[in-house]
Amino acid sequence: MKRLALAAMLGLALAMPVQAQTVVKHLHITSIPAEVELMNSIAADFMAANPDIKVELPFLENEAFKAKLTTLLQSADAPDVFHSWGGGVFYEQAAAGVLRPIEDVLSEEAKANVGTAGVSAFTAPDGHLYGVARDVSEVVLWYNKALFEQAGVDPASMATWEGFLAGVQAFKDAGITPIAIGAKDKWPAHFWWSKLVIRLAGQEGFEAAARGEGDGFAGEDFVKAGEYFLQLAELDPWQEGFLAATYGDASGQFGDGLAAMHLMGDWDYGAMKDNSADKLGIPDEELGILPFPTIEGGKGDPTDTLGGLGGVLFSRNASDAAVKWIEFFNSVENQAKYAKDAYYIPIAKGAADVMTNPFKAQIAQNIGNAHWHANFFDQALGPNVGGVVNDVSAELAGSAMSAQEAAELIKEAVDDSL
Amino acid sequence: MASVATGADIATSVGLRRRRFMERKSLLALLLFLPPALILFTLFIVLPMVDAATFSFFDWNGYGPITDFVGFENYADVLTHRNFGTAVRNSLIVVAVSLVIQLPLAMWCAIALSERGVHINVLRTLFFLPFMLAEVAAGLIWKFVYDGNYGLLPAIGDGIGVDMPFVLGDKLWVIPAIMLVITWKYFGFHMMIFIAGLQSIPTEVIEAARLDGVRKWQIVRHIKIPMIRSAIVISVFFAITGALQLFDLIIPLSNGGPSHSSHTIVTFLYQFGILRMKLGFGGAVSVILFIACVIVALAYRRILFRVEQN
Repeated sequence: MKRLALAAMLGLALAMPVQAQTVVKHLHITSIPAEVELMNSIAADFMAANPDIKVELPFLENEAFKAKLTTLLQSADAPDVFHSWGGGVFYEQAAAGVLRPIEDVLSEEAKANVGTAGVSAFTAPDGHLYGVARDVSEVVLWYNKALFEQAGVDPASMATWEGFLAGVQAFKDAGITPIAIGAKDKWPAHFWWSKLVIRLAGQEGFEAAARGEGDGFAGEDFVKAGEYFLQLAELDPWQEGFLAATYGDASGQFGDGLAAMHLMGDWDYGAMKDNSADKLGIPDEELGILPFPTIEGGKGDPTDTLGGLGGVLFSRNASDAAVKWIEFFNSVENQAKYAKDAYYIPIAKGAADVMTNPFKAQIAQNIGNAHWHANFFDQALGPNVGGVVNDVSAELAGSAMSAQEAAELIKEAVDDSL
Repeated sequence: MASVATGADIATSVGLRRRRFMERKSLLALLLFLPPALILFTLFIVLPMVDAATFSFFDWNGYGPITDFVGFENYADVLTHRNFGTAVRNSLIVVAVSLVIQLPLAMWCAIALSERGVHINVLRTLFFLPFMLAEVAAGLIWKFVYDGNYGLLPAIGDGIGVDMPFVLGDKLWVIPAIMLVITWKYFGFHMMIFIAGLQSIPTEVIEAARLDGVRKWQIVRHIKIPMIRSAIVISVFFAITGALQLFDLIIPLSNGGPSHSSHTIVTFLYQFGILRMKLGFGGAVSVILFIACVIVALAYRRILFRVEQN
């Protein structure tokens, strides 16, 4: 009898490892403490319902994440799930075989949940689906109503490029910094170039140039985008020392009411408060969103938006449990929690309905109505061409390069990587 | 005639045996003590070096197998890159500033502070403190000092009625600003090397010179500096190799900007090789830097040899 009990115990001990938990490592870049808390609580809910799965949520800071990911994905330490902005970097990862195709594992419900745009954003050129979209964002022209009043500038007069330049001049004359920009980080400057390209070249023009067709980025519309950018830069519209300012610096200056406008993503709504000296930023009633000025003769559609479509990708060795976790994480119920606190605009169908924040609601509507929701150019074009776009944008903001040279440098980088 | 072993023969054979025994003993020591260092050195220095050199002949973004052989194209790309010249120029400026400003300053402080005394110890610690700070921390501290809105520098400017520029966002000022930080950060280290050298000079020599009526400056010029020549050679070597490898101070200070005007060779490598995912290009930069370092090391050996011969 004793022997039997011993054998049973031994058998149990042997069987234990089989029942061990599957660990899912989800690498994220969320740094806001309350948002991390929310993510932890969703993971706790999931683990309570699925005791055989253990979700781990390691964190890497944004810049460190970009620098480390390449090595990480090819090591034994690769996370199962990790943050992605899609675009060129994602295509390179897919082509290198470090990702797991999930079209056969992901439920139809989860696919429908992110819509066609969400599915196509994480489908690589090879036709496989490698990830799940989580959020959408848009770059908008934030403005400070109080400063507009002070300088006597009518926001409606800024709808065209000429009107916009006149408005900027009016701010200069009134002794108010017209625009905050974090040009040290470069990508904030590239939003200006991107928005001009969207207006001037439109979707077809941009996509053809990215494929290297015709004159590519050295084409007329792109040179013109540089020229318009220089027109603005020559008015010296930026805050003092803008070339040494990071995104956080510029965001803080706008939040402190030291600059009238800031071309930035919707996330700046919260970041502007967080970066301001009093942590309150601009009160909602004094904050507004201007449509980016239209340009006569431009080939873009007036509804076109610039922004991102963020989500997660699955690495080569990701388990089915990882997919299960993301289905749960990205469900409408859980994403509605993110919408409620306005951390981002969830892509999950219906999750954004609970958004009470008027700015986020307007942005969600802009994206929904857009003819083309362009992915951030520095992501869409991949790290190398994107890096050059960022470089020349900062140069143009500082009037340190001709439009022709800027256009040619980008074309050169595209030709190099084709 | 029967051969008879002479005493001398016996002596040599014993000597030989002993030498063999010694060799075996040192071989044992070699086998015991060399592998850890050798394995670590191979694993973390030699292999990555060989890897980087291999990458430099391929077009590779860091993902998947390395297949796209491009010959010397990466080297051509590096040498014709619009920012590489600036990076090399900046690295050379750092070398020059280290040799012309930092080392003389360190020498001056060392001579002033080589005596003993409480106040001298305090000053010595104070000057050595920057060297003990982590590079990134030091870079951040100076970023705040230079900050055009809230920094110490514009506050001083306000005090004396001068409008200070945003030094880290200004192509003209960014390099002098970085040089100031480098000098501040590392002169204490060289000062300590010199102090150690100065303290090893026998006091009799200096006393004798003083009795002979040699003036203070002449003692420094003809006795102290020549007697710590080997310390100076070491300092120069550290200053040059340190300057060539300068990286972690630049990243928090200017990140190579504005307009890539403050890159050193290593930050250039990181920006255009690693961050832009052109590992082949980065490999080519590292090979060029490696060759530069080897040339410096060889030249240094020759100079050191000459100094020792004197």
